[in-house]
Amino acid sequence: MIELVSDPGWELLEELNIETEFDIVKARQSVRQYAKDAGMGIVDQTRITTAVSELFRNMYMYAGGGVVRIQKGMYEGHPALVITCMDNGPGIDDITLAMQDGYTSGQGMGYGLPGAKRLVDDFVLQSEPGQGTSVRVAKWK
Amino acid sequence: MNSTTITNAKERIEHIEDILSSVAAGDLDLRIESEFEDDLTGVEQAINLLIDDLTHELKKSLKLKQEMEEKLMKIQEQQKTILQQQEDLMELSSPVSKVWENILILPVIGTLDSQRTQIMMENLLQKIVTTGCTTAILDITGVPTVDTQVANHLLKTVTAARLLGAECIVSGISPAIAQTIVHLGINLSNILTKATLQDAMIYALRKNEQLINGKVVLNQIDTDEPK
Repeated sequence: MIELVSDPGWELLEELNIETEFDIVKARQSVRQYAKDAGMGIVDQTRITTAVSELFRNMYMYAGGGVVRIQKGMYEGHPALVITCMDNGPGIDDITLAMQDGYTSGQGMGYGLPGAKRLVDDFVLQSEPGQGTSVRVAKWK
Repeated sequence: MNSTTITNAKERIEHIEDILSSVAAGDLDLRIESEFEDDLTGVEQAINLLIDDLTHELKKSLKLKQEMEEKLMKIQEQQKTILQQQEDLMELSSPVSKVWENILILPVIGTLDSQRTQIMMENLLQKIVTTGCTTAILDITGVPTVDTQVANHLLKTVTAARLLGAECIVSGISPAIAQTIVHLGINLSNILTKATLQDAMIYALRKNEQLINGKVVLNQIDTDEPK
């Protein structure tokens, strides 16, 4: 698993495992609640929830699950919600290709990763074939 | 000076050792017995008190363990119930109703996972065939998150219905979800969408009207045709 370093100033809100489709729903609901608690409006809540939904589903479908860390804290000078997804899956061979609209290595529509990136304020992806994939997204008001 | 004397010191210490090893092995009913009153008696009584305390604590932790086990059993049962309810919900939550001549409504509430969408699609297609309805309204007001998977399922459902000759209208897309879909980059322009169920219903009824008018015209043509 590729560990993305956390800022020591961030507060850990919750750490969850994604193993089943039901876990995706639960984790997604948690994120929506934290976004609400952070004072985000309905549009921002929907955006971050949808973005992480794509990431959770990727972990579930391509890596058989993974770990989700929900944190809040200052991100590039903004009070933000930071969600990190890490898995032990096969990793992504060509990240540029994976970030292209309409490209999928599976059965999806191919809009998950690029779509998620457009829905959040910051998007960090690290992946090595055989080492897994880690994605961090941040959303601020 | 009175030197302390301990009667039968060797036997009594051996007795203490015996008792302690029995207690250590788990026999908590044993206590040190002694018929003498001297300096060793205090030690013997203290050991007996310690055994009493130990017995008490052990009983307490045993009780706690039992309680924990009972709680665990309860939680496991509850989990079973939750799983069962999830399954029940899955079957219950895809009702397709004919609300008007030619018009079906499928209200979708909650989360669309792949299993549920499959059931939903099968129900809808089956109902289209059995009722012969040509318009189906998929109302997603009750779906809080539309991600690419949900959108993909919707597209597939609409396409499958179209193959059976029915037109689908997707209603109940909230402004927040509309913006999110646009940012995701999904193209839903192939699907007929309406903001509310009411709009979808009005559209379907208008279409019905035209259809019925059309039928009338067709009938007239039929009857006007010379034999």
